Amino acid sequence: MELIIKNGAVYDPVNGINGDKTDISIKDGKIVDKVSGKATVIDAGGRLVMAGGVDAHSHIAGAKVNVGRIMRPEDTRSGIKPRTKITRPYTGYTVPNVYAMGYRYAQMGYTTVFEAAQAIMKARHTHEELEEIPIIDKGALTLFGSNWPTMDFVREKDMDKLAAYVAWGLLASRGFGVKCVNPGGGEMWGFGKNVSGLDDVVPNFDVTPKEIIVSLMKANEMLGLPHSVHLHCNNLGKPGNYKTTLASMELANQVKASKDRQVLHVTHLTFNSWGGTNWGDFESKADEVANYLNNNSNVTGDMGQLIWGSATTMTADGPVQYANAKLLHAKWGNGDVELEDASGVVPIFYVKQISIHAIMWAIGLELALLTKDPYKMLLTTDHPNGGPFVNYPEVIALLMSNKKRQEEIKTLHEAVHKRTMIPGIERELDFSEIAIMTRAGTAKVLGLLDTKGNLGIGADADISIYDIKPDQIDPTVEHSKIKSAFSSAAYAIKDGQVVVKDGQITSTPQGRTYWVDAYVPEQDTSEMMKDIVKKFKNYYSMQLANYMVQDEYVTHAQVIKAGAIPVEVN
Amino acid sequence: MQTVTIKPKKEMKISVEAENISPDKFAGKTEKEIQSLEAWVGNQKTTLGELFSIAVEGSAPAADTKIIMEGDFSRVKRIGEGMTSGLVIIYGNVDMHLGNKMSGGNISVKGNADSWAGREMKGGELIIEGNAGYYLGSGYRGETCGMRGGKITVLGNALDFVGEHMCGGEIIVKGNTGILPGLSNNGGKIVIEGNTSRPGSEMSKGTIIINGTVDEMMPVFKLEGNEDLGGVTYKKYTGDVIANGKGLLYVR
Repeated sequence: MELIIKNGAVYDPVNGINGDKTDISIKDGKIVDKVSGKATVIDAGGRLVMAGGVDAHSHIAGAKVNVGRIMRPEDTRSGIKPRTKITRPYTGYTVPNVYAMGYRYAQMGYTTVFEAAQAIMKARHTHEELEEIPIIDKGALTLFGSNWPTMDFVREKDMDKLAAYVAWGLLASRGFGVKCVNPGGGEMWGFGKNVSGLDDVVPNFDVTPKEIIVSLMKANEMLGLPHSVHLHCNNLGKPGNYKTTLASMELANQVKASKDRQVLHVTHLTFNSWGGTNWGDFESKADEVANYLNNNSNVTGDMGQLIWGSATTMTADGPVQYANAKLLHAKWGNGDVELEDASGVVPIFYVKQISIHAIMWAIGLELALLTKDPYKMLLTTDHPNGGPFVNYPEVIALLMSNKKRQEEIKTLHEAVHKRTMIPGIERELDFSEIAIMTRAGTAKVLGLLDTKGNLGIGADADISIYDIKPDQIDPTVEHSKIKSAFSSAAYAIKDGQVVVKDGQITSTPQGRTYWVDAYVPEQDTSEMMKDIVKKFKNYYSMQLANYMVQDEYVTHAQVIKAGAIPVEVN
Repeated sequence: MQTVTIKPKKEMKISVEAENISPDKFAGKTEKEIQSLEAWVGNQKTTLGELFSIAVEGSAPAADTKIIMEGDFSRVKRIGEGMTSGLVIIYGNVDMHLGNKMSGGNISVKGNADSWAGREMKGGELIIEGNAGYYLGSGYRGETCGMRGGKITVLGNALDFVGEHMCGGEIIVKGNTGILPGLSNNGGKIVIEGNTSRPGSEMSKGTIIINGTVDEMMPVFKLEGNEDLGGVTYKKYTGDVIANGKGLLYVR
């Protein structure tokens, strides 16, 4: 199967292509340097061409997402679209059904999405859902931050065992990377408590969040995993938490990266860049966070932009969700994953005239606009915490047009003028910077830049074409055209196959599931397993043999090898 | 003025989804156009013309459109869904979800209405001369805001959960109601002329006035003393105190 895309205005920042008319040749699902005369031709006609979108942080599958669906039948009713000959039915807005997840991402030209948190014990559920999400490639980050074995090995300062546990945990969960949510807090939530800073001691384990984060970063780099540690900071959702965020970012200096990428990715910074001491003097400290990122190259972040209207907050951060449910007088779903973590789900409605929401809206945009290098600040809405992913085009339009931002600011609570910097920020991003925040940057942060997020020879043929001609449009003024073009791709191509044409799904292939198989020396694993076996015997409610996700659950696996390469002995 | 008269062609055993019966959908349409509007019988797609005999007189915008329904509509759901103006008069019984999400206009039922009548309605008026089923003026499953505005009057009785999650508007029941009227209320006003039991649980705002007997009170209300409302002395309660509520409950 050969395909050639002609006359596209290509934005491929990785390969230095900046709107030039370049032909893209595709053969057998990969980008090649040329194809034969028999190749099918797609005439882009001067329209915008980018690599398929890559999302590094979105809650698309697993136990929490499903709790959200169960809790919110009213949300399910809001996005119904009946089945067609090609597609199965769509339902939901903030917590769509599995099919709509894949279709809606593809319709925006996204082809790769990573689920941001799965507990090892719940991984089977995550993979059952990932298997049913059509079209897109996906993977899931595995939670390690409050796991008992993690905290035991951290206290014992046994890095070999910790690395072996991380490798085994990724295998057990068929996970892609290390997620760490409110380290230590998930465990303390089991006793109705929380940690309040990096130096609090977690009772019964005698470790601090700081030690957990540093040790996991070291283990991550010992194993040479493609992605870095993916951190949801302590104190999320509390005014004044930017200090904790900055202190967490500084921890990255203690560890050296094993690859050409960051050592720490700090996620959904909209919820972590808060100043003030209470809800009364709550203010944006996005400038401090962006300033840190500008001066350091070992940390990256993502926006977690807030979107007006309905959202469903869901996180492994159990205590913050209890606080939210109390504050909002809202429905509350709480979960406990035995020895591993907690979780919580709370619906929320973001309102323009509520000062806190208006300030949070501003924080996300400030983070993106004040961080100079777009490779360091990815575009996300922390779906569905800040808002559903279908609003990415809205965020793109806001970032590209100061006019749109100023129009929006006029409709917001006045606090946006006093406690944020957004009204005075004039920066407007260009197509290349947007391509980095949604493709190249995300792929680089995930460690997948060789095949994803770019259009170089050998990359996966995941390509999106949007119905705008970059040389004929002024995105700063015609922001509504930008939004509608990014909402419905003219073409989305996945592995060389056209999956979307004119915003409509045309075929629904099954994507791959990425997971990482990291090698550790045999004897480290067997030492570590002695502890794990004891944990199962004494504490877990299930048997070790039932704990591992089998290959049957991952039918289209893409295994990435990592770890120290073993020495072959003849 | 446009008048549309609808009569069932035959007895309906399987429920019919007829959200297209609404002045907004009928306004300015000819008999043929109305007959070809979509309806569902169970899982089978059909048209209104297949199920009902439809006669149209005149042509007018929705505000001047009157729908007269004669016969048994007790298996016909979602009549007047989302209507914004106009008039619907039903001489007979209707099935669930009558006038749901309506924001204006007037629906009058000369018989009974099944459950979820006036759910999540925003405005307009709904009069049920017979009895109403469960969840009158409530929010559907998962919804945190039920009726938000408008007025519902029931001349007969209503079953359980009248005005659950209500956020605004007014419900008047002349007869008795089942248990837990005004459950999780967040605004609006409910008046019950007859008897009921366990009113106002979990309410955070809103007003409930009961003129009949209350079989059982939830132990989550604080007695504030007596108060005169229109010449009648009521015991005034506030609550639900567990939910830190500021709701008002008046009991004779």
